[in-house]
Amino acid sequence: MAGQDNVEPLVVLRPISVDTGSPDRVGMLVIANGFLVAVLVRLDAPEHERRGAWYMEVRLGQLAKVRPPVFDTLENATRWVRQRLRG
Amino acid sequence: MQDALIRKLESFEELSDADRAALRTFVPRLRQVPARIDLIQEGDVPGDVHLILDGFACRYKVLPDGQRQIMAFFVPGDFCDLNIFILDQMDHAIGTISPCKTVEIPRHAIEEITANHPRVTRALMWCALVDEAVLREWLVNIGGRQADQRIAHLFCELLLRLDAVGRVTDNSYAFPFTQTDIADAVGLSDVQVSRTLRELRALGLIHLKRRVLTILDVEQLKAYCGFNPNYLHLRNARWSSRRQVPWLSSVQGG
Repeated sequence: MAGQDNVEPLVVLRPISVDTGSPDRVGMLVIANGFLVAVLVRLDAPEHERRGAWYMEVRLGQLAKVRPPVFDTLENATRWVRQRLRG
Repeated sequence: MQDALIRKLESFEELSDADRAALRTFVPRLRQVPARIDLIQEGDVPGDVHLILDGFACRYKVLPDGQRQIMAFFVPGDFCDLNIFILDQMDHAIGTISPCKTVEIPRHAIEEITANHPRVTRALMWCALVDEAVLREWLVNIGGRQADQRIAHLFCELLLRLDAVGRVTDNSYAFPFTQTDIADAVGLSDVQVSRTLRELRALGLIHLKRRVLTILDVEQLKAYCGFNPNYLHLRNARWSSRRQVPWLSSVQGG
């Protein structure tokens, strides 16, 4: 499992286009220790209050148990994922 | 001010002269409350029953992680908390969304009147019944409907409830709610709300600008979310003609 050990997992982002039914389509697969744990999507639609920020569209496993914020940067997002999966 | 309450109750039940006289014996307090203020907080000992004369309020709870869940929106003419005068301690909070004009009815006044005036009690029970019916529908909304339908359903409900108290003009009504307010009421994230509003706009169903919501195609919006207004008990009821009495507008002067 992605965050089984009490060590920081290796978190990798991989670009992907995401169909959100809206103009938000720039996405990142979030992979921790080889496991897909989340999908991030950039908020590009003009209606969003935090345009340009990253929204956690999908959460899996341990991440599904916590409520994520909207992230200003991808670095913040990966840091949050690492902290949550540290065990 | 008692007259406003009497008219409200008479929209449910025919009251006698004695009932009306009893309602006039107590002196409710009028209050102007700014937006985003709690009328009563979780844990408080409830003392008064609040009736909204103007503005919007909500019933909510805050979870340990800070997440707020809104369980009800109150519009002009609604009792916020009809039965809470029985409670020893509030198990939820009631807060304003927009600036509100409220009436506070002392707990003992309600107790006295309900003990001696069965028709008043019955009218109050009607108010509570409709509140419960709305709550049931919200449960269905959160548990059973898709994101876009949930929001469309809320917009249809507000249209009808506000129309019943004379607060709708050309299918437009005041909309002081933020995206977060909507999100917290229908169990979605702000982002999902933002996307859904965009979609409803793109479909030509709504227009939302400067805190006024216009339903551009009421029938289409109702069809979109399968809206059935039966739970509001606004029509096909024996009091429907009296229900339309614009009692609220007549008391706006204070």
